[in-house]
Amino acid sequence: MSESLREIEELTEATYEYGFSTDLDTDIAPPGLTEDTVRLISAKKDEPEWLLEWRLKAYEAWKTMEEPDWAKLQIQPIDYQALSYWAAPKQKPVLDSLDDVDPDIRDMFDKLGIPLHEQKMLSNVAVDAIVDSVSVTTTFKETLAEAGVIFCSFSEAVHDHPEIVREHLGSVVPVRDNFFAALNSAVFSDGSFCYIPKGVRCPMELSTYFRINSQNTGQFERTLIIAEDDSHVSYLEGCTAPQRDENQLHAAVVELVAKDRSEIKYSTVQNWYPGDENGVGGIYNFVTKRGRAHTDAKISWTQVETGSAITWKYPSVILQGDRSVGEFYSVALSSKRQQADTGTKMIHIGADTTSSIISKGISAGHGQNTYRGLVKVMRSAENARNYTQCDSLLLGSDCGAHTIPYIEVKNPGAQVEHEASTSTVGEDQLYYCRQRGMSEEDAMAMIVNGFCRDVFDELPMEFAVEAQRLLSVSLEGSVG
Amino acid sequence: MNSTATAAAPELPTKRDEAWRYAPHADLAQLTFGPGGASAAVPAELEAQIPVFDGPRIVVVNGIVDPARSELATSITGLTLSTVADVLTTEPESLTRHFPTDAEPVDAFAAFNAQFGRDGAVIRVAAGATIDQPIHVVDLALPGAGHNTSSTGVVIEIGEGSEATIVETRLGHGTESGGANVRTTITLHDHATLEHIVVQDAPPAQISLSRVDVTQGANSTFRGRSFNLGASYGRVAHAVVLAGAGAHAELSGLYFGFGDQTLDQQVDIVHAAKDCSSRQLYRGVLDDSSTGIFSGGIDVQPGADGTDAEQENHNLLLSDRAEANTQPRLEILADDVACKHGATVGQLDETALYYMRSRGIPAAEARRLLINGFADQVVDHVSIDALRPWIIDRLGHADA
Amino acid sequence: MLHVKDLTAAIGDKQILKGLDLDVGAGEVHAIMGPNGSGKSTFAHTLAGREGYEITGTVTLDDADLLEMEPEARAAAGVFMGFQYPVEIPGVNNMYFLRTALNSVRRTRGETEVSAREFLSTAQEAMDLVEMPKDFLHRAVNAGFSGGEKKRNEILQMAVMQPRLAVLDETDSGLDIDALRIIAGGVNALRGPERSMIVITHYQRLLDYIKPDFVHVLVDGRIVESGDHTLALHLEDHGYADFVNHDLDASGRPLSGATS
Repeated sequence: MSESLREIEELTEATYEYGFSTDLDTDIAPPGLTEDTVRLISAKKDEPEWLLEWRLKAYEAWKTMEEPDWAKLQIQPIDYQALSYWAAPKQKPVLDSLDDVDPDIRDMFDKLGIPLHEQKMLSNVAVDAIVDSVSVTTTFKETLAEAGVIFCSFSEAVHDHPEIVREHLGSVVPVRDNFFAALNSAVFSDGSFCYIPKGVRCPMELSTYFRINSQNTGQFERTLIIAEDDSHVSYLEGCTAPQRDENQLHAAVVELVAKDRSEIKYSTVQNWYPGDENGVGGIYNFVTKRGRAHTDAKISWTQVETGSAITWKYPSVILQGDRSVGEFYSVALSSKRQQADTGTKMIHIGADTTSSIISKGISAGHGQNTYRGLVKVMRSAENARNYTQCDSLLLGSDCGAHTIPYIEVKNPGAQVEHEASTSTVGEDQLYYCRQRGMSEEDAMAMIVNGFCRDVFDELPMEFAVEAQRLLSVSLEGSVG
Repeated sequence: MNSTATAAAPELPTKRDEAWRYAPHADLAQLTFGPGGASAAVPAELEAQIPVFDGPRIVVVNGIVDPARSELATSITGLTLSTVADVLTTEPESLTRHFPTDAEPVDAFAAFNAQFGRDGAVIRVAAGATIDQPIHVVDLALPGAGHNTSSTGVVIEIGEGSEATIVETRLGHGTESGGANVRTTITLHDHATLEHIVVQDAPPAQISLSRVDVTQGANSTFRGRSFNLGASYGRVAHAVVLAGAGAHAELSGLYFGFGDQTLDQQVDIVHAAKDCSSRQLYRGVLDDSSTGIFSGGIDVQPGADGTDAEQENHNLLLSDRAEANTQPRLEILADDVACKHGATVGQLDETALYYMRSRGIPAAEARRLLINGFADQVVDHVSIDALRPWIIDRLGHADA
Repeated sequence: MLHVKDLTAAIGDKQILKGLDLDVGAGEVHAIMGPNGSGKSTFAHTLAGREGYEITGTVTLDDADLLEMEPEARAAAGVFMGFQYPVEIPGVNNMYFLRTALNSVRRTRGETEVSAREFLSTAQEAMDLVEMPKDFLHRAVNAGFSGGEKKRNEILQMAVMQPRLAVLDETDSGLDIDALRIIAGGVNALRGPERSMIVITHYQRLLDYIKPDFVHVLVDGRIVESGDHTLALHLEDHGYADFVNHDLDASGRPLSGATS
């Protein structure tokens, strides 16, 4: 056992390959958060008065709130006055053509494997590239416009479609929802906006790549996706950050509105810088993601969380309409000194609502992985169904796996099932694979990927390949 | 009884305390604590409710052992029965696990118990003894007449290689609010085996709080059964530490709520040594506006390799006003472990009901059969033949 | 081809193999029989390279020292072990597993990797050989397989891997007669002048289907008797009683005679 433990430790000490930083000319606000900071951000973005009011209301709320302390996290105190709340590459943020994209930014995205050049673009995936909270370009805009789909940066949406933004902003995640949501609401800089009109099936995958580049800045994006009746959209989100010695805060808010009979599929591959093996540096990823599903609508969250020093994230679905469906598929890997506290909330309000939760937690090195979830069946939710499966895999003896589900049922017609297991990669499994000629490293990667299969199957093809590779890289190292 | 409350009353738990998340905090705040009340007259009606089976019996009324109803002198070899009050006088140092001086009480109610629970039962089994007859500790709560909530202590120590069966029955009487706060401390030495049954059925006006702390030596076996059948708020908490290698704990519980009852089960099993195993099987049946709570933890500490732990919680909701909250927790800090848990909330199987009715069984009878079948899977664990029918008879009955 | 000399294996204080000698020539099929606990499976695992044994002695395959090699290097050298208890790997499908295995071995040997198309046709032949249903390739490795399916999967993998030396550990255990026939058919089809096999079994039954060139009796960590297939028939009639619980004479041969 001990020998393979050592090997596992070596396997899990792979280095972060997106740790480079790009020297961009950046416009950064001085550190600190006051009402003036909020006004400055709003002014920089040339926002309408109602949005400034909304931000100020959030700021006032935030001042009265306390950081949550219930998550199972060892966290360095965050000095909110030492952070800068505005950083943007010095360039016109909205571009008419990809040729206008700053070559340095283009190179950065090339390095990340996300080509922004038209000729190299991923076929059938529209990309919104966001650097330090500001959208630098959005591809395939015209194709999408033909279908009536609006896919642009949040700032553009505020100017071009204020009525849609105003109607839905904060409708799923109210400003007072939690400490980080309130903070985001006050200072959010940019993000993605999608609007799928009635009856439209979005002709391609929509995708946003987030990149934190600047130092000492918090990143606060805001994403809003609205699917009108009978529409369908699949949205992908990827994230990376440079390797820096201090912790950086990322507090995003994502709101999904799935109207009658619509479907939103939201996939995330999160690979923020996790910090080094001693726990120095890395992103604090404190994110609020929630969707509201109306009658016969479906919201599906799929996430692969391999990065960040700390992840605090519970993508949730309010199953408001009758027969609405919520899904949550998650793979979370914590190695080195990473801590992941993640899960979902499924709030059943409508009748005949269904939710399913598949969570796969992998702990390695000194990583701590917690599944925390809530399944709540309200009195009105006749005949609600939930199935939850939480599996944990422990690789090594210094890591931890925790499963903390809350199940609250107020309707006797509900059927709620929760299953969980904890296991390790079996010596016999490794031996079997090696007897068939595979190296220990390949065998380990294969078994761990197999453990995550149910979740990877939910990802769009390109992302599934990316996720598998990421997982293998995160577990990679030198096997003697 | 404000006169007996202490100056610096401990702070009551709130909604933010995980272990008390779903408890009725306003009701708990109404309880007052003080020294054991003068032994009130036990009504015949209550006396008649006490389950009867062969074996020595100790009866505690309002926190004070009632000598007339108790048989402390026993001829069973290896068994010593005494009262907490007596042992506190003769050899208080032998009760340091029950009244620890070096650790803070886990919550306010443990603090009240440590302060006021100065009487109760002390059961000691010498090494190498097998006690054939079950030992019965009966705790009766009779609030009123200047007494609100009683505090009782039960101390159990099972010597190396010994075996015993102990039943703790908690009953109450009357329509006055108040209740009982009983704390049990169990020590199992190496290779010892104990079946420990808590049967808790207080009247709808009362609150019943039980906490059982168990420490297990190497290769010992603890079989804990709890039957939480009545009280406005009935709580049975088990904290088991598997301290010696190869120890085994098996906990099962049935909670059967009706009316406005809230029945709360809190289980925490700590795997602190290698090669220990634990099982938790809890079942809840919830009718009317009752609420059932199960919070069960498996806590595997670093180095506790070879851990084998399983946990199951199943709930039946019989009414559209009933509520079930379940929280099956796993906390794993070792890697050579096999842990799993499962929880379900559902209702009676309509197909089975239909099937039985189509065979001529009336609907109400069919329901009863299905519910009892569900509950039997816990009741069957009880080894005392005379106790099983008593429990089944009490399911869903309000006695006052 | 395979030379085993004075092989011992122990787990902690427990000595399991106590000086085992065996020579297997190219194209030969050797059966190793013995009572439970005699060390048959341990012998198979020392050839395949399972960790956890303390081993002395020498084992060479085509003059290469097997004992120095990691399990995967032995696989590349041509050792295939049919497991008595094939391992379940949830979420990893058979096709992916087997192709990864095959290409790992080919890479180590400096051979080109097989394409998905080439692999599929190889796999299809192997599936036909052991009468595996079509959906097999897309199911997870051994997960939810019946006992018979797991054993058929082992032979299927052997057919794809085309080993130099196949070690089949109790491949017949837990099989009904039809499954046994299919498996034996598969094994026989894979016999060849360049492929040697060691068939480990508790019962003679399998040897009715797979005719061995040599039969060895393993008792208490040593080969105590060797002969042709008639030795297996003798064991069928007399059991292992002749070989166990008897003092051995100075030459290490059992007192009661067995044909040889």
